[in-house]
Amino acid sequence: MRKATKWMALPMVTVLAVGSLSACSSSGTQKAADGGKAAPAKVNLKMIESLTSPARTEVIKKMIASFEAANPNIKVELISPPLEGADNKISTMLNAREDLDVLEVRDVTVKQFVTNKWIADLSSYTNAWSGYKDLNANAIAMANYINNTPYFIPYGLYEKMLFYRKDWFDAKGLTPPKTWDELYKDAKALTDPANNRFGYSFRGGSGADGYIVDLLRDFNGSNVNPDDAMFLKSGATIFSTPEAKQGLTMYANLYKDGSPKDSVNWAFAEQVQGFVSGTTAMLIQDPDTIDPVSQKLGQGTWATAPMPVGPTGISHYKVGAAGWGVTSYSKHPNEAWKLIEFLSSPEQNAIFTKTAGVIPIHNSASVDKSFTQGAYKPYIDMANDPAHFVSYKPETDYKGFGEWRKIVQQDMQAVLLNHLSIDDALKKWDAYWINEKKQGK
Amino acid sequence: MKPFRLNRTQTFIFLSLLPAVLLVFGFTYFPILKGIDVAFRNYSLFNLTDVHYVGLDNFRAVMGTPQFGTILKNTALWVIISLVFQFAIGFLLALLMRKGFRGRGIYQGFVFYSWALSGFLIGIIFRWLFNGQIGVINDLLLNAGIITERIGFLSDPKWAMFSVIVANIWYGVAFFAIMLLAALQSVPSELYEAADIDGASGFSQLFNVTIPYIMPTILSTVALRVIWIFNFPDLIYGMTNGGPAGSTHILTTYMLDKIIFSGDYGQASAIGIICIIILLLFLVFYMFATKAEKAGDF
Repeated sequence: MRKATKWMALPMVTVLAVGSLSACSSSGTQKAADGGKAAPAKVNLKMIESLTSPARTEVIKKMIASFEAANPNIKVELISPPLEGADNKISTMLNAREDLDVLEVRDVTVKQFVTNKWIADLSSYTNAWSGYKDLNANAIAMANYINNTPYFIPYGLYEKMLFYRKDWFDAKGLTPPKTWDELYKDAKALTDPANNRFGYSFRGGSGADGYIVDLLRDFNGSNVNPDDAMFLKSGATIFSTPEAKQGLTMYANLYKDGSPKDSVNWAFAEQVQGFVSGTTAMLIQDPDTIDPVSQKLGQGTWATAPMPVGPTGISHYKVGAAGWGVTSYSKHPNEAWKLIEFLSSPEQNAIFTKTAGVIPIHNSASVDKSFTQGAYKPYIDMANDPAHFVSYKPETDYKGFGEWRKIVQQDMQAVLLNHLSIDDALKKWDAYWINEKKQGK
Repeated sequence: MKPFRLNRTQTFIFLSLLPAVLLVFGFTYFPILKGIDVAFRNYSLFNLTDVHYVGLDNFRAVMGTPQFGTILKNTALWVIISLVFQFAIGFLLALLMRKGFRGRGIYQGFVFYSWALSGFLIGIIFRWLFNGQIGVINDLLLNAGIITERIGFLSDPKWAMFSVIVANIWYGVAFFAIMLLAALQSVPSELYEAADIDGASGFSQLFNVTIPYIMPTILSTVALRVIWIFNFPDLIYGMTNGGPAGSTHILTTYMLDKIIFSGDYGQASAIGIICIIILLLFLVFYMFATKAEKAGDF
């Protein structure tokens, strides 16, 4: 008898375990209930975001709610992993073919997702989508960044511009800098360590790479090949020229003479905090900084301006983008696309871009007052002046790009701390990219 | 020959154990084996369609970086200095908390509080405390007249390692305080009474009664802490991200770097294996040096 009860216990445990598991996934039973012929089967979409922030998640949820209201047969479950490591989580999920239909794809991840065949080619959908041609040129270029194939539809664009303390500039009778050399001079003039004031919010820590490379491109001027922008039109790297040395020397001086000593290890948070706390006079950042800056600094004390240009009058800018894509193995690609099409409509995109602080993807947005006036205006000005503001194709599709970001950031810190000479740093970077070129993309 | 057969009771035991065995294998041993496999492959997130074996290339790449010496030195500093101060301060706090006094419960809560926080969070808090421009620590030191110029705690390579270790000491004191207090409370009071009768001073009681009695706990907690501190990149990652110029990297932050920046799981796994080897060597040496039987059960 005792043995019998023991044996009874085993299936009981199993039943309990399975029971509790199925209790978690109510969608399974729901599907069966709705499975009658009268109503079409309910589709559950799983969606994951990467650049998570509380305000942004809330907007996405609202947009999803209006989508679900318009499409009662589709239910969307949003996964919002914390920003740190979100892309790694997404990669892991994709590699394990976990249930996902719609995912956030970024310019820095799209190449990897395509190489591993994790995301779907959307051209059959974009061909049939009337809204596609309303996207602005930058959005279309970024959607087709890899293999000239639309692998994701951007929800917004990033581009750097200059934020400056208008009140400090006015007090010293300065005007916002138009060139890098002016920026250096202004930064030096505004620096007053005794009062804990500095000219420039230097980015020396994580994320410093883009600042350095863009500056060196500006100093190389029109010799840079915009389609392969780590290189010049001659085929040499952008680090191999005397202009590169001139640029890097200026940048090191900008740190020494016009920035807080501590900024050698500043990342995004410190850089922005330095500006809004009244320590630094100038900051170069993406549009997502407009919101925190306007919340902390009084109106009229700050303004924005186009990016400074190099000695020959050229500034190179990268358009960054992130957007939505569909997994290659989604069981509901049509519904997934329907969601993306909905999110990419001018009305929904306007709601999203204002909260997320990104540049809208539609041509029609350039007549929207909130983007043509005020803090966003430099973007319009830069876009209207292609002779001086040259956009380039980002180098994120090189295999060594991730490693490179870390190398250039550490080497630059070593230069600023006098552990490495400018010549040696440039030589090392030159060799790195010659080797990358050899290995191919 | 009789074939190997389980009787009913044995079968039941076997089946009952099976879920646990499968779980442990699936979530502990399989990842370890997989990690060892990945360490010898070209396993980069950038292209998972080609993950061929590359022999010892990953180990060569990792150990061949000019930074590797600094990383090993930092790892040693990180473990040894953190451990010594965590232990000394934790032990002192445990001794102070052993005797009952008013509000001891609340006081204990404050002491143990740091242990309940996530390492990454502590890293971020200390990153702002130590900020060279607007940090509270600089402000306090300036106002107290101890320094005349702000110190770049996290931006000056001379200070950065010091700063992350200070944060780690703050964090780890609680663990020793908790564990040693529990051990201290188990020391029978008769031993102290006997020592009093023999006329032993407080100091001599500490070294001849207290410490020998709680030695097993000390030995096992120290071994645990060495492993945990060694495998604790969270704090450094949150505070300096290994910077400036790589001057605060330890092995495990370097491993995270390989994953987060390079997506190179092959090299990251190679670092993981190097970590395991170092810890195994340490433990063998430690057990030998302390005569394992004294260390009690881990």
